[in-house]
Amino acid sequence: MTVFYLFASIAVGASLLVIAQRNPVYSVLLLIASFGALSGLYILLDAPFVAVIQIVVYAGAIMVLFLFVVMLLNAPQEDTEFDARTHPLLRPGPMKFGALLAAAFTGELIWALTRAGGGSGGFAGGAVSSVEALGRILFTDYAFAFEVTSVLILVAMVGAVLLARRDDRPGSRF
Amino acid sequence: MTPLLVAQIGLTLFVFLMLLQSAAVMVYFERKLAAFLQQRVGPTLVGPRGVLQPLADIIKLMFKEELRPGAADPLLFALAPIISATAAFAAFAVVPFGADTTFFGLLDQPMRLQVADVNVAILVIFAISSMSVYGIVLAGWSSNSKYSLLGGLRSSAQMISYELSYGLSLAAVLLIGNSLSLTEIVGAQSGTWFGFIPRWFVFLQPIGFVVYMIAGVAETNRAPFDFPEAEQELVAGYHTEYSSMTFAMFFMAEYINMVTVSAVATDLFLGGWHGPFLPESLGWIWFLVKVAALLFFYVWMRWTLPRYRYDQLMRFGWKILLPVAVLNLLVTAAGVLYFGL
Repeated sequence: MTVFYLFASIAVGASLLVIAQRNPVYSVLLLIASFGALSGLYILLDAPFVAVIQIVVYAGAIMVLFLFVVMLLNAPQEDTEFDARTHPLLRPGPMKFGALLAAAFTGELIWALTRAGGGSGGFAGGAVSSVEALGRILFTDYAFAFEVTSVLILVAMVGAVLLARRDDRPGSRF
Repeated sequence: MTPLLVAQIGLTLFVFLMLLQSAAVMVYFERKLAAFLQQRVGPTLVGPRGVLQPLADIIKLMFKEELRPGAADPLLFALAPIISATAAFAAFAVVPFGADTTFFGLLDQPMRLQVADVNVAILVIFAISSMSVYGIVLAGWSSNSKYSLLGGLRSSAQMISYELSYGLSLAAVLLIGNSLSLTEIVGAQSGTWFGFIPRWFVFLQPIGFVVYMIAGVAETNRAPFDFPEAEQELVAGYHTEYSSMTFAMFFMAEYINMVTVSAVATDLFLGGWHGPFLPESLGWIWFLVKVAALLFFYVWMRWTLPRYRYDQLMRFGWKILLPVAVLNLLVTAAGVLYFGL
């Protein structure tokens, strides 16, 4: 239990610090620390496969790309003069949208947490820890969700290629 | 403390010290071999045949001044070499290097020659190798120097590109071995076919082995893929601004990564500690011989092949290596399904 609180406090603390940072590179690194703590929690839940996949996919692959983008764009320090004094809802368009999105997300989280409270381990008939069991359940019970997710990722990939492509033909939009 | 616990702690310390000194041995090995390939004599002055040269190098590095650029980010600048070195050491923790042993009857029950027996060992190695990118990227960024930054960016692009092929070649092996545990994969390679061909996975996975070795060279940033530190264009790449022991940490991490990649290749493709003539308890000698052979190959390649161009590296990684790795995985999966290996 002590270990759980250790990992949980690292995860929550690091996640809070992610949004408290002025420097985006530090935010990315703290997010990695948070993912690392999450992976520790998975190990406590006796799911080493999920824990390692968490590191490989999120902390390893996705966050490297984040760091890459942040470094390439050389994002400046956030301008705090204006932000600190005004209420989020009174700021210009994108910020207002962000504030609304955050509020909606908080609402959803509270809704989900109140619904999920109490019941423990009621997921698809017991723990799915071994790779074989995980693969079997992914390709049978959750095959549809799995395929839909892969199509979604494919669409995002095609979109990214289309946006990044340099087309030299005259009159081309891209 | 039970004898088993003492043995486990002793083994951990032993692996740590062995990895530390493997960097020194590799430095001597590489300098001598480079000299041989270039018809020079190499280090001769320090100790008999120059064997104490690495010690002299370390002492020199220790007495150098530790410099930090004024515009560098102090925290990340200090953190980057630590991440690199830690990742290098951590990856070896899940690599088994010998059969179960009781140390000539000292222990009641046999102990595995492996620091941590994890049942998802292959994925742990993959995870740690993906974390080691951060050391290089952060070193490049925090130095606040254009050479470092370019080196760091190149390196991250290179490692991301080759990590895919690396992972796919590992996946093909675990399909054949039908396990994610390195110990079980090595166990599946004991014995022989027709009485004389050892049951090594390199014979079932020749393409996978080649892909693994090429991607491994790219992952460890060694020549001919040593773009992060291409000295003609980038001074020294990501560690341009580092000096003294922080530089030594990057240097050491590179050599330890080479040892780890070779050790994993030995476990996955070359039958680990299995080999003829020696009893099972002395299998670690075979392991050392195979790792040394692969390390020789690394050094040999460095002093034989010129560095690729950056666009060639990217094209090779994405347009040749990755499709080959994907096809290899598909064919392997079909074969496993058809023959029910």
